[in-house]
Amino acid sequence: MSSTRFRLAGAALALTLVAAAGCSAGEGVDVDGTDGAAAGGVLNAAIGGEPDQLDPHKTSAYYSFQVLENVYDTLVEPDANLEMKPALATEWTTSDDQLTWTFTLREGVKFSDGSPLTAEDVVYSYTRIIDEKLNNAYRFATVKSVTAPDPGTVVVTLNAPTPNLLANLGGFKGVAIVQKSNVESGEITTKPVGTGPFAIGSYASGDNIQLVRNENYWGEQPKLDGVRFTFVSDPTVALQNLRGGEVQWTDNLPPQQVPALLDGDDPTVQSVPSTDYWYLALNQARKPYDNVNVRRAIAFALDREAITKAAKFGLATVNQTAIPRDSAFYYEYAPYSHDPNQARQLLDQAGVSGLTMDLMVTSEYPETVTAAQVIASQLEGIGVTVKIRTLDFAQWLDEQGNGNFDSFMLGWLGNIDPDEFYYAQHHSGGTFNFHKYDNAAVDRLLDQARTETDQGARKQQYEQVAKQIVDDASYIYLYNPDVAQGWSRQVSGYEVRTDRAIRFRDVALAR
Amino acid sequence: MARFVLRRLLQSGVVLLGVTLVVFLLLQLVPGDPVRVALGTRFDQETYEALRARAGLDQPLVAQYFDYLRRALTGDLGVSFRSGRPVTAIVLERLPATLSLAVTAVLFAMLIAFPLGILSAIRSGSLIDHAARVFSQFGVSVPDFWMGIMGILLFSGVLGWLPPSGYVSLTEDPGRWASHVALPAATVGLVTASILTRFIRSSMLEVLSEDYVRTAEAKGLRTRVLVLRHVLRNALIPVVTVVAVQLASLLGGVIVIEVLFAWPGIGRLTYEAVDARDYPVLQGAVLLVAALFLLVNLLVDILYARLDPRITVK
Repeated sequence: MSSTRFRLAGAALALTLVAAAGCSAGEGVDVDGTDGAAAGGVLNAAIGGEPDQLDPHKTSAYYSFQVLENVYDTLVEPDANLEMKPALATEWTTSDDQLTWTFTLREGVKFSDGSPLTAEDVVYSYTRIIDEKLNNAYRFATVKSVTAPDPGTVVVTLNAPTPNLLANLGGFKGVAIVQKSNVESGEITTKPVGTGPFAIGSYASGDNIQLVRNENYWGEQPKLDGVRFTFVSDPTVALQNLRGGEVQWTDNLPPQQVPALLDGDDPTVQSVPSTDYWYLALNQARKPYDNVNVRRAIAFALDREAITKAAKFGLATVNQTAIPRDSAFYYEYAPYSHDPNQARQLLDQAGVSGLTMDLMVTSEYPETVTAAQVIASQLEGIGVTVKIRTLDFAQWLDEQGNGNFDSFMLGWLGNIDPDEFYYAQHHSGGTFNFHKYDNAAVDRLLDQARTETDQGARKQQYEQVAKQIVDDASYIYLYNPDVAQGWSRQVSGYEVRTDRAIRFRDVALAR
Repeated sequence: MARFVLRRLLQSGVVLLGVTLVVFLLLQLVPGDPVRVALGTRFDQETYEALRARAGLDQPLVAQYFDYLRRALTGDLGVSFRSGRPVTAIVLERLPATLSLAVTAVLFAMLIAFPLGILSAIRSGSLIDHAARVFSQFGVSVPDFWMGIMGILLFSGVLGWLPPSGYVSLTEDPGRWASHVALPAATVGLVTASILTRFIRSSMLEVLSEDYVRTAEAKGLRTRVLVLRHVLRNALIPVVTVVAVQLASLLGGVIVIEVLFAWPGIGRLTYEAVDARDYPVLQGAVLLVAALFLLVNLLVDILYARLDPRITVK
């Protein structure tokens, strides 16, 4: 972009306005917004919205975690294949009864303000989540106590064996290790202090958050001087920013343009299968959806390929179970071919005809709105009339919580361990079981698998769970979406991750 | 004059009190639970109860309202439900962006509307009059977000003159501020200009039909002097009102445009607060907007007296 041209055009306008507003003219600054230092430069990244707050233990917003991924560390963290690897803890041992886990902390780790990280900080962080019942308290459901016998050791004592403890403690930055004084001063909401590769430099509410390299980082120093996240909610505008060089990275791409962008090389756009899944749930507390044949009929009536094409422009993989193909827990099972005849037969068996089904979707996730239209037309083919209800998310959650729906479509994001999503959604006492699925066999298996320490046996239990859930059509799973992100040619060393974690620590910017 | 201003300020206080009550009551009617939104899909009953208590939402409504009022009187508008930050700080830091967008847009609109409105009134029925009417019809009927996207595609995509979105504060760098404000201000300004052009035209036409204008013409007064000194000045009263109303409503935030251009103003704040059911922020934003509205109206009343000596404020 020619900077002189728009500066000239702007200057004339500015002059009149500066005079009118009675403001004094400030210093001229380089149009690129980067200072002229010879080091790694500042990467401009456009994300789709503003973090609600930056306290990792209190936010649930993905926008927050996009930033916090680069600021905080966890004891362990998922690598590219989502296996848990050392981070702040270098090693760990488990007692014979599987109830005591002892973590050895990395030596010499400092927070970005220079103060040392000790085992007390880990104890404080976990105790805070548990005692204040913060968002991720459920991840510590089996934790009896967390102690620090010495500054380099953390001991986690459990009530029951917890084979997925590492995923619970390191799956994402919602369980990050925070600094006590930062929490107590209240600054954690806008100026969090972590041990990660970058630290918060400045925060302009509504516009941007600027990260600067953490000189005290324990790992290899990041190549970038910093990262500037701007909040651009319109994907067309974000893409325009990327093309025009205003930003060098974005994940807010217009879905309909992604297939074409994947073919080009400037900007580079990459798309990988994510661990998210999207599904349709039928309210089993309501008739006739308590009848498994009705649920199965709907499962047979759906053409997942067509839904995926419409909702994701093909950027997704159809799936009839929750778990994507790349996961260690993947279980190949797809009994529901697109078969309207069978669907009609099942409805006849159930004695259901002329059914009108309410389908609740949310504008928060536009793909549910698009998919709903396709689902409606497909179900019309078996004589089911679908009434689509599009709500904003706050209202949607209200209706869901009150059980006020026949069916809804939603996604479950960032999945690593099956306990996390099967239990909450399909155990009769699960916190997200709003569709009231109740199968004693599934309950028993979920309870068992939760504490099963033999990995092979645990995998088998989850396979049985997966099969039963699909057979019962507790959820009718639709697809695993891809995660697509784009960056300019100047950017190197960036990798799109299946868990959508945005890591800039190895990224370099050519200038 | 001083008594007039004082009385108006007192009245404004009463209005603002009413605003807080109405907004508070309306928010209770809005479906959607802020606590559930904050938790997202990772819902857990215990966590839910804890967060609800921390936000004070478990208190009776009357207690919540009076608690809010008591603190508001000391300038404390509570803390954001989403971010835990003080609302007063949150809304005030959005003010410069909104002010600069609204003022630029109105200036831009006046720059177009005055020449166009005056010309089309004195040349009523001419080609330029028709063109002006087509323009204002276009301006009021084409959705602003569409115009915004077209502007981005043309000036940023094709021509590469202006950045597609973002904000730089005026005090930080006037040049970059201007390049960033140009597109959103022009988009908003175009709509305002369309409305304004119509008002200027009709107001001018009305005055032009007055007897004293004919007399002045008969006296042989130059058109330029006649139009600018005698007609325009008398036509200004309703126009000033419309400009003020436009400015005041732009100060309330141009929600769609602020969202589209990633402009960190009150409008975008309001939009996000509604989305997250962040009641304290929403209340704060509405209160600020109402205060601005009252302020602009007070200034307009004072301005009337300066424009037309027949009007006095007392």
